[in-house]
Formats: sequence, C-alpha cells, structure tokens
Amino acid sequence: MPEVYMNQFLFVDLSSRTSASVPVPDWLKLDFVGGKGFGAKLLYDLCPANADPLGPDNPLMFMTGPLTSTSAPSMRACVVTKSPATNLFLDSYFGGRFGPEIKYAGYDGIIIMGQATEPVYLWVTDKKVEFRSADKIWGQDAIESNHAIKADLNQFQARVVTIGQAGEKQGKLSMITCEYNRQAGRGGAGAVMGSKNLKGIAVKGHAVVRVSDPDKFKEACATAFQEIKESPACAELTEFGTSSAVAYSEDMGTLPNRNYLDQTFVGADKIGEKAQQQHLFLGKAACFGCPIRCSQMGAVRTGKHAHFITDTVEYETAAMLGANLDISDVRALARLNRMCDEYGLDTISIGSVVAFAFEAIEKGVLEPPPDVDLTFGSIAGAQYLIKEIALQDSPLGKLLALGVRGASREIGMESTDYAIQVKGLELPGFAPRGSPGMGLAYMTADRGACHQRGFMVGYELGGEPFNGEPVDPDALEGKAEMLRQLQDYLAGTDALVKCDFGAMGVTPETYGQLYTAATGQEAGSDFFSSLGERIWNQTRLFNLREGMTYEDEQLPNRLLKEVVPTGPQKGKVLSKPDMDFLRDDYYRVRGWDDKGRPLPQTTEGLGLTSENKFKLPSTKK
Amino acid sequence: MRPKIFIKTNFDLCSGCELCCLACSEKFFNGYNPHLSAIRIDHGEENLYHFPVVCQQCDNPYCANVCPKKAIERDPQTGALVVNPDECIGCNLCNRYCPIDMAGVGPEVNYSIKCDLCNGAPKCVDACPTGALETISL
Repeated sequence: MPEVYMNQFLFVDLSSRTSASVPVPDWLKLDFVGGKGFGAKLLYDLCPANADPLGPDNPLMFMTGPLTSTSAPSMRACVVTKSPATNLFLDSYFGGRFGPEIKYAGYDGIIIMGQATEPVYLWVTDKKVEFRSADKIWGQDAIESNHAIKADLNQFQARVVTIGQAGEKQGKLSMITCEYNRQAGRGGAGAVMGSKNLKGIAVKGHAVVRVSDPDKFKEACATAFQEIKESPACAELTEFGTSSAVAYSEDMGTLPNRNYLDQTFVGADKIGEKAQQQHLFLGKAACFGCPIRCSQMGAVRTGKHAHFITDTVEYETAAMLGANLDISDVRALARLNRMCDEYGLDTISIGSVVAFAFEAIEKGVLEPPPDVDLTFGSIAGAQYLIKEIALQDSPLGKLLALGVRGASREIGMESTDYAIQVKGLELPGFAPRGSPGMGLAYMTADRGACHQRGFMVGYELGGEPFNGEPVDPDALEGKAEMLRQLQDYLAGTDALVKCDFGAMGVTPETYGQLYTAATGQEAGSDFFSSLGERIWNQTRLFNLREGMTYEDEQLPNRLLKEVVPTGPQKGKVLSKPDMDFLRDDYYRVRGWDDKGRPLPQTTEGLGLTSENKFKLPSTKK
Repeated sequence: MRPKIFIKTNFDLCSGCELCCLACSEKFFNGYNPHLSAIRIDHGEENLYHFPVVCQQCDNPYCANVCPKKAIERDPQTGALVVNPDECIGCNLCNRYCPIDMAGVGPEVNYSIKCDLCNGAPKCVDACPTGALETISL
C-alpha cells in the first residue's frame, strides 16, 4: 500500500468540541492521491446536498499531498470546502509553512465540521488537539491574530492560519491567511471559517515523514531541482516574483482596465517589476522547501503610505487593484494590498468588485456616499470600499461583500452585464477577449472563473507552443481538447500538491518519479492526466448535485458584446456563438452530454461509480 | 581546540526555505521534519528576515561540559563536537544548557542530536540554494 502518508485525518467537530483521528482508506490514497483529489472525494461524500456553505454541515478541509513536507521542491497544500461565493466546489491553494506542519503533526489533512458557539482557535500538536478561546483575538486582523495566537501559546515555531475581520463577518470575498503572505485566497474560504467561529489553527509536530525509496527519492529530487534551476520561467520568478507578468500581460493586451472595459493600461510600467524593485523590494523569501523564492520581500519606506512590510505586489493584485482600478501609484497599490491582507480579503475579487462599484456609480445605478471620491483612479475611494467590504458596517459594504454576482443581482439595471464573473467567482487579471480558449477555461473551471485550471492565454497570445506546435489564437477547433488536457494534468498534479511555479520547471516525468519513489506506487506516463480526469469529473458531479447547470457556464455580456477599444486586442470580442461552440465541443471531448453532465460510460470508466464512500465517526455527545 | 571548518551563515541571503533543515533531518532520521534537524531557521518580521542558526562548535561547550557521560566529544578531524549515541543516556541536559537550542534528544531515538559537520561536508550547505550557508575551512 502507498507509503509516505501519515494515514490519519484529523477530524474536528466544533459543535461538540471533540476531535478524532480517522484512518485514511487505502482506496482513497490509490484513487485520489491527495490534495485536490482527497478534497474532491471528501467534499462529495461529507457535504450533504444543498448544504448551506456557511452552515455547520459544510466541511472545511485542509489537505496535503504525498509530496507535501518532503524535500520534493515547491509543494503546497489546499483548502477545500463548498464555496459561499459560488455554492460549488472550492479548492484554494497555499504555500508557506502551514501545509507541511499538518503532516509533521501526524495527519494527511484536517477536516473541520460543525460550528463553535464561541470564537475559538485550535492548537494541534503531535496528535493532540486543544480548543482554545479566541475571545480576545476575535476582531483582530489576520496578521495581528497570527502573532497573538503564537504569543498566547508561547509557541513561536508553530505554524498558524487565521482569518481577518472580513472572514469573521462572513463576506464572500474573504480568505484564509497562511503565514506569511500566503493565502487560500479565492472563493470565500475565510467566510466558511468565520461561520464556524474559528479564528485560527496553530500546528506544530515532531513526526518524521518517510518516503518509500529514499535513494530513488533523492535522485528524483535532484532532477527536479536541476529542472527548476534550468528553467528561464523559474529564474524570472526568482528575480521578480510575478511582478514582471505586468509587462507580459500588457504586451499581450490582456491587462484589465476600468472593470475590463479595456485590456491595456497606460500606467502598466509604473506597477511592474521595475517600479516594484525601486520602491518595494529588499530581499527574497521562499515557501517551505522551495528553491525558487518568488517572494520579493520589502517595505514601503517612503511617501505617505510608509511604513509597512510588503511582499511582491503579485501580478494578479497589480492587475486587479492597479490596472483594473486605474491606479498606478505602486506604493499606494502596496497599501491596498496590505489592507486586503490584514482584513483577509482576496485581492482579485476585491479588485473586481471595487471596479464594478466605480462603474455602477459612474452609470448612476448605485448611490455613492457623500464626501468620498468613488471614481476610477481614486486611491482613497478604493481604501474606503475595501474597509466597508471587510467590516460590512454600511449598506454599501454589505452589498459589495456579496461579490459582483450577488451585488449586481441586487442592483439590477443591467449591471450584470459588467459584473465580471463566472458562476459567482470574479475573473482574475488576464482579460480574455482575443483568447477564446482562455474564455472557455474561465467558463468551465470547477471553482468559477480561474486562471490556474488551464492557462490558455499563454499559448494563444503568449507564443508558447502546445505539444511543440504554435497555437492560432483565433482558431476554435481543437481548443476544447487542449483545455481538457491542461485541466486534467493540473488537477492530477494538484493532488501532489504541486505549485504552479515549480511546475514551470519540473517535468511530468519527474513528478511521476517523485510520486513513485515517495509512495512506492507505479505511475505510468498518463498517470496525472487520468488521475486529473477522475478528479475533474468528481468535482463536476459535486457541482451538478449542488444545482449548477450548463447555463451557468458562460461569460458576462461585456466580454461577449463589447469590443476591446484599444491596445493589442483592439476590436476583439468573444462572440456568444463562438463560445457556445467551444462549450459544446468541450462537453463532447469530456465525455459529457450536451448539458455538461458526465455520461454513464465516462464515470464508470473513471471508477467514479464505485461504492467507496468516506465516512466520519459520529460525534454526538 | 577550534574546529577546522565552520558553517558561516549569511542571513541577508537566506530565503527561509528550510531545505537545509530537510537535508539535515534526512541525514539523522532518514525522513523529513525541520524541527528535528540540527540547524534551524528563525523567521522574523513577517518573512522579511530569516536567520539560520547553527551550532557554534564552541571553544567552551556547555553541552559537553554538562554531559554526565562525557558523550559529546571533539572530532579530531573536523573539530566538531559529536554525540556518541552509545554513551549518551538521553538525559537532555545538553539541550537545557545550550543557549541556542542546538542539541537535544529527538523523537524515535533515545540520544541527543546535534550538528557533527557531516564529517567535514555539511549536507545543509549542499542543500542551500542561495549561498546563505557556506563551509569555511580554517
């Protein structure tokens, strides 16, 4: 049976304040491997159909993979839960040092059910769990509370995740903050944690993680390190983090501006790597076990926003809080980023919802409060809205904390046309007009509009060849199949749990060797793709059960009807017939029916009709 | 006797990745856990700084001085202070009197773990991708 696993999940029931170790079944390790795979199967089995994402029945899970915590480079862990933003499957990945610590404490994952009656935090160490009062910490921001928990425990080597005020208030844009500068950002996982009255989790453990074949594992690690070392993309991340993607995106014409009205930004140079290097960067930080060290740590040390510590203003943040809001002051941008990190808000979704609010006010369909400038380019306006959304002290804050889909439904007046989201998740910072495959990726990603489930834009506009062949951006034929392959491979390696940046260097063969040496299980050349296909269909079954239909898989009208006004993609639009064609073709290549439902032979072929079901012990007092 | 080699730490280059700790725990435990390694990284100021902490192989080694079995002895080749697992009784006094927590009894073993400079070729230095650890020969 597979090795390297700790073979236990930690199950915590906050309602009864009990915990238990639950064995990890062999079939789960073999069929779903870890990370996203574990999360996909467990969410399907443990979350009752149509459960309220913010109710006690929704599991909140922190899942590791077989390579998390080992010396395999650049591994992460993930949060899986039912999203309050989409009411669908949510997986959100984080680096840092919390994921490995779960394994050192003796577990492959943490499954949290129920709701505490009072604010608590968990202290998990070497298979011991304490429920500790968070009364004094509730109300603190995500970073303060991390320090407060360590101080309360007198454990400064513990690894801690927390929520900020946004998660406490259960806003749909709230995230879980993993130390430091790493977040399970998307889809409102922070609100799920807040709904459980769970302020934080601290973990420290002394278990040894051992692989099946240490010599082969060392060899595979050496290969992986060498591949990262030789990768120009990884070298770029070492040098600049993701900040240099601002120029990359601006060159392609995919940098969103003014709520996705345009796809180019005159201030791009002022928020990219050169500006960040000049005004922010000081040194580098790495996630646990990662040679890339993409974090460019620094501080805002001059100007009116000084002084505070900041990581790289990541591409997504620069795109969504900078370009999309027409803000080009890099220090102010770092300030907005810091506010989101403190309150515990996803900068991607915040950039979208603030832009949506600016536009709705501009169009006169949303009433602005007096004395605040809520127009594009207003730093003070963005700061104001971020605070209002986090704390929900005003009707405007409450409205926008619903996310753009929820807010636009409340406002009406055709505002859904420029609510830039799919299935309730705001689009990230690669604007897709001119890249139909990217449009399809946003439409079909399991967690809603996500760029990390198939980065088609890199092939369609970035010039990257696919299987050695150049890709015609305007072609529709073959794009669905291409996306299917990308989604499957990524889902398969998200079971390990790989980091997208490490994967720019590490090859599929080497991931296979790492997996085999760690677990003792063979991995053929299509191992990750077929694993990913199983996982992708499992999350599909969950989403369909929770009420998603094919009609939810479409882009907002702005992207379907309004042409890009300027820049490299000037004149481009993603037409509805084209996108319908791509969606139909995608369902076909997936083995789904014309409504996007997996056909019986598809689920049977993937082993998803087996009777294996994961169960938790009863926790009734 | 001064050690003939020592590990120089350059905190300004340290990214806090702890690959050094993983290499060290691999050596001692044939597995992975940075808390069990004989090198530690202290992360400061929200990851703005990372400080590698290594055994100083002291001239006046409190760990060896307090050992009731004299189980920590100087290696004549490298000058490192090395635990003899056959002599060590696992009392953990070395841990109690080392001010920087560089020696102590690990789980699964009943003897103290401390840096022995890997016979002169420290694995932590090999594993460091940034140059934050250097082996200096005197």
